[in-house]
Amino acid sequence: MTETASGTIEQMSFREAMAELDRTVSILESNTLELEDSLKSYEYGVALLADLKKRLSTAQQKVDVLMGQLDVPADDATTDTTLS
Amino acid sequence: MLLSQATYRKSDRKETASARPLSVSEAMRQAKSSLEAVTVVLIGEVSEVSAKAGYKAVYFTVKDAGASLPCMMWLDRYRRSGVELVVGQKVELTGRFTLYAPKGRMNFEVSSISVEGEGELRRRVAQLARKLEQEGLMSPARKRPVARIYEHVGLVTSPRGDAVHDVMRTMRRRFPATRISLAGVAVEGAAAATGMAQALSACVSAGCEVVLLVRGGGTFEDLMPFNDESLARAIAACPVPVVTGIGHEPDTTIADMVADVRASTPTGAAERVTPDGDSVARDLEMRGTLLTRSIETTVARWADGVATCASRPVFKDPAASLFATDFMTVDMLHERLSRALPGCMERNAAAVESLSKRLCIKGAHAFDSFEHDLALRAGRLHDLSPLSVLSRGYAMARDEEGRVVTSSADVSSGQRIDVSLCDGVLHCTIDEIAALSAAE
Repeated sequence: MTETASGTIEQMSFREAMAELDRTVSILESNTLELEDSLKSYEYGVALLADLKKRLSTAQQKVDVLMGQLDVPADDATTDTTLS
Repeated sequence: MLLSQATYRKSDRKETASARPLSVSEAMRQAKSSLEAVTVVLIGEVSEVSAKAGYKAVYFTVKDAGASLPCMMWLDRYRRSGVELVVGQKVELTGRFTLYAPKGRMNFEVSSISVEGEGELRRRVAQLARKLEQEGLMSPARKRPVARIYEHVGLVTSPRGDAVHDVMRTMRRRFPATRISLAGVAVEGAAAATGMAQALSACVSAGCEVVLLVRGGGTFEDLMPFNDESLARAIAACPVPVVTGIGHEPDTTIADMVADVRASTPTGAAERVTPDGDSVARDLEMRGTLLTRSIETTVARWADGVATCASRPVFKDPAASLFATDFMTVDMLHERLSRALPGCMERNAAAVESLSKRLCIKGAHAFDSFEHDLALRAGRLHDLSPLSVLSRGYAMARDEEGRVVTSSADVSSGQRIDVSLCDGVLHCTIDEIAALSAAE
């Protein structure tokens, strides 16, 4: 059940995966599924959750420059000290 | 000034009436209240500025060819004005004269300040704002909702300066998963508005789901490109939501009014389009808990269902409930069978008995008629027997061979014959034969 209309979990955007997780939780909470389907949904939800957590913890900011020349940014630590 | 003259006259009368000289404080108080009653608008050139850290107000002097006037402006008002005082600058001040009693010094307390000529600029901006508002560009109905999470955010700002890094740092800190497309353009100067409008469409082409239009604080004049009509129309026409974060000042530009969401700073704009990373993590934890709870509930519900089924009589005592009818039927049949067989045998025995009796009765007389017939026939046989003829005095002669002699011609004299009587045989020899004639 890792395949849906929106493709595999990896293909989903963070927001789509979030929405998909919400949908899965709602379906499970509605108590309308057969046991087998409930277990499948649960499995799917857990997979979504794991993927989302992984994305959250491993994300690196990605910046594309469409126009202009970006100055080399000060790193966060430097900026934080200069701000104070 | 008329009013203050009137006040003076009134004071004079009071003095005369009471005939008591005023204390310095009283005199100053009266003068102060008279001066403060009048609001004055004036134009002058800034000649001195004193804005030191820790001061609650900024102090400066304005002058013209013939006079100079010490001015003070409370710091919060000064900051809100967006004006940065520079010596030699011509400024338009609105305020009132006041007295600083401890030093006996007259000040002009400034309530609002603008760079000379800015008034006209502001009027033009206000006019444009009204026009665009009438067109519905600022209508809340037109504004698109801005989500909490975006995958891809466009950033239109100067590639130099703090604003761009404030936005990137904020987004990195809060939600690094969001991709940023930066369109770095000039945000000041004549070409800035056109450049920013182009940058908006470049972000849209790059696939951004929302665009941040930001810059750091500046004077009213610095912010003029954000009051440009073509930029305002480009924002309104942008197919994705636009969030502004312009300056640290309360000046609201037309770009802010037309934007879908207005944040007051670049950092604020970045925060508006990114979730707080920790809150997302908490959210995920909560969803995980919900997920587990739901499946536990579901499994428990099904388990209950199974338990309910299992407790039904059919499963608890399947023999009793499932086959009860059949068992009873079998029992009844058994009962009937056990009763049926002996009954049947009894009936058969009775039938046999009755038949046997009938047989005996019939059997006893079965040969009566035969016996009768036999007796008749025996009687007749007896009548026909030669022996019975012999018993009546007749005799039967036989030759030596045993043949019955029926004619005298069959025998000759001297021949031996046996003559049978009814009770014995006479062995005789023939002496003479006397033939009888048929006529006799």
